[in-house]
Amino acid sequence: MNIRNQLICAWSAIGFAAICLAGFLFADFIPPISPNLSAEEVATIYRENTLPMRFGILLIMSSAGFICSFAAALSMQMKRIEGDLVPVFTYTQLGAGCVTTLVFVFASVFWTGAAFRPDHDPELTRMLNDIGWITLLMTFAPFIIQNIALGLCILSDKQAEPIFPRWVGYYNLWVAVLFVPGGLLTFFKTGPFAWDGLFVWWVPFLVFFTWYIAMFYILLGTIKRQAQSEPAVAA
Amino acid sequence: MSSTSALPDSVKPHLPGETGVWMFIIGDILVFSLLFSVFVYDRSQEVALFVEQQQLLNQTLGLLNTVLLLTSSWLVALAVHGARAGQLARARGCFVLAILCGIGFVVIKYFEWGEKFAAGLTIETNNFFMYYYLMTGIHLLHMVIGIGVLVFLWQSVRGAEFDAQGVGVLESGACFWHLVDILWIALFALLYLMR
Repeated sequence: MNIRNQLICAWSAIGFAAICLAGFLFADFIPPISPNLSAEEVATIYRENTLPMRFGILLIMSSAGFICSFAAALSMQMKRIEGDLVPVFTYTQLGAGCVTTLVFVFASVFWTGAAFRPDHDPELTRMLNDIGWITLLMTFAPFIIQNIALGLCILSDKQAEPIFPRWVGYYNLWVAVLFVPGGLLTFFKTGPFAWDGLFVWWVPFLVFFTWYIAMFYILLGTIKRQAQSEPAVAA
Repeated sequence: MSSTSALPDSVKPHLPGETGVWMFIIGDILVFSLLFSVFVYDRSQEVALFVEQQQLLNQTLGLLNTVLLLTSSWLVALAVHGARAGQLARARGCFVLAILCGIGFVVIKYFEWGEKFAAGLTIETNNFFMYYYLMTGIHLLHMVIGIGVLVFLWQSVRGAEFDAQGVGVLESGACFWHLVDILWIALFALLYLMR
């Protein structure tokens, strides 16, 4: 039972990544709506693509909850490193990971606000569009804490047969570094640090979704090893 | 790391630190290379502006920081050598000096940025200063983390429980510090010196 439930939660990473990416494609959010557009231009985009945008944003919203179950699945394996007494990195990862759900929830809410009445004042449409993208891409804080907690936990594993491969710890620290530039979007409308730029959009976007897929495979491996080494859990 | 190679120990290539650290280092260098490439490309679009704005940088402070970082890297290398040879007191001393060099770098950067702010040059002034603040800022973040790593290494060098595994930890941390150093050297050349 225990293994099966863990696997269900681990697979939610794929559910999240697939549904969320489909949402971005439907809404035509790849690449993002440029922060450099005039209010009228932004309003035109929302007016002319209202239906696919509403649907795509709805998909992004639908995907968001899976983040929580995947964070919980990671936590179960982290707890095997830290033990039952002081699983502090485990809780940090779980808490910060669940907060990242809200990033997708609120970004969807703001974009829907823009797509809900596409005929209202263009300034308002653009403001809601702005807030949606800022919510999605500036909010690096919970993401990096999730990665750092997971990374430090893995590196603190002193067992002869570590639960996660050690390189996964360093991988997570590296991913944390890559999310930090998101905060810089506050200064720019164009260039590599604007919200449609290389270091705020392309790099974090690719790194984020490959992280979900990579961590999914790594987690499957750890759960499989647990099933072999602790038959009682598998029963 | 266990190796089944038949070579005698003295001939075996030795990778300082653990493999995972090198993954991090290569990953970080990859991202910085991307940043440097974007900088060079944007610079090629506005060469005149970049060359003109570069004159406003304080090369003396930049050079001073380069010297501080190189010295600290040398001290960290000495510390690791000392620890390997069992001279723990010397290793601790070298770490303290390296940390002071690191703090010196941050203090100088504070004054350098302050000087630019006072002159009205901010991240929004133009593309050159955008890159100046971003590149030195992201590097400064690495510095602060690196100083934290050095403090961790310094307190890890203690008599009783310090062993070969401890040396491995020192090597991993030292590699990160050298990364911070090498990134600065590339950055110093691109921002302060490139004509």
